[in-house]
Amino acid sequence: MAVFMDLNITYTTDKKRLQSVIETAAHLGYSTVAINYVVDLQQKKQEIGKPKCVLELFDTFPMVQGKSRPIKVLNRLTVVASDPSHFAACMTFDVDIICVAVTEKQPFFFKRSPVNGAIERGVFFEISYTPAIRDSTMRRYTIANAISLMETCKGKNVIVTSGAEKPLELRGPYDIANLGLLFGLSEGDGKAAISTNCRAVHLHGETRKTALGIVHTMKKDQPLTVRQEEEHVPPSKRAKIETV
Amino acid sequence: MRRADIKDEPATYERLVYKNTSVYHYMRISLVLENESATLSAAQLKQLIVSGLRDLYGEVGGAFPFDLLKFDESTLTGVLRVYNSGLVKLWSALTLLGSYQEELCFFRVTQVSPFLLTLSGNSRELELD
Repeated sequence: MAVFMDLNITYTTDKKRLQSVIETAAHLGYSTVAINYVVDLQQKKQEIGKPKCVLELFDTFPMVQGKSRPIKVLNRLTVVASDPSHFAACMTFDVDIICVAVTEKQPFFFKRSPVNGAIERGVFFEISYTPAIRDSTMRRYTIANAISLMETCKGKNVIVTSGAEKPLELRGPYDIANLGLLFGLSEGDGKAAISTNCRAVHLHGETRKTALGIVHTMKKDQPLTVRQEEEHVPPSKRAKIETV
Repeated sequence: MRRADIKDEPATYERLVYKNTSVYHYMRISLVLENESATLSAAQLKQLIVSGLRDLYGEVGGAFPFDLLKFDESTLTGVLRVYNSGLVKLWSALTLLGSYQEELCFFRVTQVSPFLLTLSGNSRELELD
């Protein structure tokens, strides 16, 4: 079974809060999380925040409850697009995820043709559940938008993520699978929305750099480390090797 | 070769299939509050859950019967019992409950099972000597 992933943790400059959110996610059972950086293209002169190197956050990543491996942290960029480009986004943009904004009632209904085109290309639709926790009006919009999305896409290619800013806004993976039932997904689809579909999104993002999955690039730093190790060998050991 | 005088009796068996023996589902939950020193009584917790159900599902949903079987005030953990038809409603109401008396809180559902006995053990916390 694929692991549980939460692909939307809002980036905050407060390092401690980010650390506590990731620790809570590990404790709840998520094996992978992604930190989300949002860019709004309509605002002029906005600098794209540089994604922080993941290793700067923790010295040792917290262990995922129930498994012996530490949690894996990814980075993700979100670009806010204007309304008329919705149709274009589904068909042509080279993206992995299309976020369904839940902060306002959608003025348009999802049309079947761009949604099906997006599904064929392997693009996923994302629904975020934290607004539903904060505010009751948001809750209505989230559920309304989710249900209308499910009617057009029939439950395929959907992922559910949190948009957590604080550690108390995260929920466990089985709780989210249950929320999927509320949104109109079937039971199997609900569980897939946080496990297999998220993993598919991750792979889709990785293979974008690789020309349809054929070419794979890797950082080459092996010769340097070998040389450094040779230097660090203490003189007494080196002497032993030579004599033998 | 069969002997003519011995008649074969057809083998009889009776098969009982229980689709779902348990009428209830039990959930072990724990409440995590932002203000770590605050505590609730059992009645306050039940009131909180009922208000969460009512916010999400209205008066009809808020009237759905469920029981708080055990509640430990020091650790804020408890066991809830609900009819099978109400499990999804109760679980989603607990998930979407965000605040208690203007403070952030969240319910962590540790175990869900149709049988009460399974809530007593957790294979992840087994200690093998």
